[in-house]
Amino acid sequence: MNSKNIDTKSIRQAFSQSLFDLAVKNPNLYVVDIGLRPSLYLDKFALRFKSRFIECGIAESNAAAVAAGLAASGKTVFLTSFACFSPALNWAVIKQSICYNQKNVKIVGSHAGLMSADLGATHQMLEDVALMRTLPNMEVFAPLDAVEMAKMLPIIARSPRPSYLRLPRLSTPTVFPKNLSFTIGKSHLLATGKDVTVLGYGPILTQLFVPDFQKYSLDIINCSSIKPLDTDTILKSVKKTGRCLVIEDHQKNGGLGEAVSSLILSLGIKCKFVHLAITDSFGQSALNYFDLYHHYGLSPLAILEALKSLLSKS
Amino acid sequence: MELAWGGLYLIMILLPAKKSHPLHALSRSLRLDILEMINHAGFGHIGGSFSAIDILISLYNSELFNFDKDHFILSAGHLCPALYTVLAQKNKFPRKELLTYAQFASRLQGHSNLETPGVEYASGALGQGLSFASGLALGDKTHHTVCLTTDGEHNEGQIWEAIAFANKYHQGNLLNIIDYNGYQLGGSTADIMPLGELASKYLHFGWTVTTINGHNFFELEKALKKAKSSTIYPACIIAKTTIGQGVSFMENKFEYHDVKQLPEDIYLAAKNELQKY
Repeated sequence: MNSKNIDTKSIRQAFSQSLFDLAVKNPNLYVVDIGLRPSLYLDKFALRFKSRFIECGIAESNAAAVAAGLAASGKTVFLTSFACFSPALNWAVIKQSICYNQKNVKIVGSHAGLMSADLGATHQMLEDVALMRTLPNMEVFAPLDAVEMAKMLPIIARSPRPSYLRLPRLSTPTVFPKNLSFTIGKSHLLATGKDVTVLGYGPILTQLFVPDFQKYSLDIINCSSIKPLDTDTILKSVKKTGRCLVIEDHQKNGGLGEAVSSLILSLGIKCKFVHLAITDSFGQSALNYFDLYHHYGLSPLAILEALKSLLSKS
Repeated sequence: MELAWGGLYLIMILLPAKKSHPLHALSRSLRLDILEMINHAGFGHIGGSFSAIDILISLYNSELFNFDKDHFILSAGHLCPALYTVLAQKNKFPRKELLTYAQFASRLQGHSNLETPGVEYASGALGQGLSFASGLALGDKTHHTVCLTTDGEHNEGQIWEAIAFANKYHQGNLLNIIDYNGYQLGGSTADIMPLGELASKYLHFGWTVTTINGHNFFELEKALKKAKSSTIYPACIIAKTTIGQGVSFMENKFEYHDVKQLPEDIYLAAKNELQKY
């Protein structure tokens, strides 16, 4: 865990750059956009690949089924919007036209989580992982940072199954080891220890890369492949530590914590368990997302307290 | 002379055109198949299947389209009994399989599904098929994509999103046929959510529109030919039909939108009428 001189980069920009690079090589790659082209940094794509940039306007349901139809004709299709609109407004279309019809559409939901701080509750999508992981045939991914995003995109594009890609709005620290690669269904141990297993996805995990946490012996597991989940690595770690902390910028209901606790319980593994997530409430505006993380119990301070409680004798 | 022409005109009106068309016999036999499969299952959307069947027969037996290459998207998935009988007639699967409709482990699900040979889109939730068809038409410009929707389905906002989209992308290879029978599950479409002048709405959205009698094979054939020739504008055929067509006591009755187990006398009366259709 190197805490010094951590760079920050925008995962969204890494997404659009990687997508552009892929489109140069793959003439079959299409973007179906829902009226948010500039917000997803897709101007360059739209200019260069005019016929492969399909603008649907602010109409999420139509866009999801258009994307499915394009995929049915053999195209690789990325459906781009904010997570609070797609996959939220068009969930039933994704269920029928994409998942039930087995059409290979990559749904990209940007501005997910409390990081869309100033926009307020309507734009802070906290239910997307729950909505997507319940759908048969759907895979769910959330990159840790811009580095992992760039590694992830070509692999997702090559996958024959539909997937949901969760992106945050802000520039966030880049901590993903350059020598690691992304594999669907595999997680990464970002740090190894013996006392507590810490699980999560997305930039919230990068909060652990500060000196305050260096005194703890932690297995930090980056679950960027939320579904399929790397159950082997998770189980191996919790069997070793007997303590598990799940952190996510998402509702507790339907999130990663539920998936992991169900996994641990169903195998009868003895394990102390803490789940830091939003507890059945809406978000709200704040000029800095740190204030929201503090309010909803997701800040480094809350993580420290959770670790202390897990390590206490009681 | 004038009298003679007038007489001929009278004869043309009095002779129901539908009866003289070679596809009419098929219309009768597939109606009987629909009745048998729904009666056997004790479940099914019978009213709409009887209103849409002639559209499907016309499409699948026309030389204008080859659905091994062109695409057919059933947006109103509950009309699948009608589609299944046509697919069986086109030898996509054995006709006897129709009797497995909606049963456990059957390839013929209660709403259309990809397991059925010849089905290209699985549907049931209304309003999505036209969007899917638009995406497919955009991705495969060398073939035609034909979509079947219903008037009731136009309650769905997504249909209007798709109508605007198809205009924007000049989808001349897209055809939407509307089975306009005037009824939906809970009553008449005029009562539940009036569509007003549907043809002019499509026109104003940049589509070509033809309104026909959806049970007249001559009109269907002509409209399909015209729609196929539209190369820049997406085409719409408003096929005016009758819910329950062919069984007098089911016609124009929203109560026959879908049925559970038919009482024996109702089944026999319907069969009797259809045999004479």
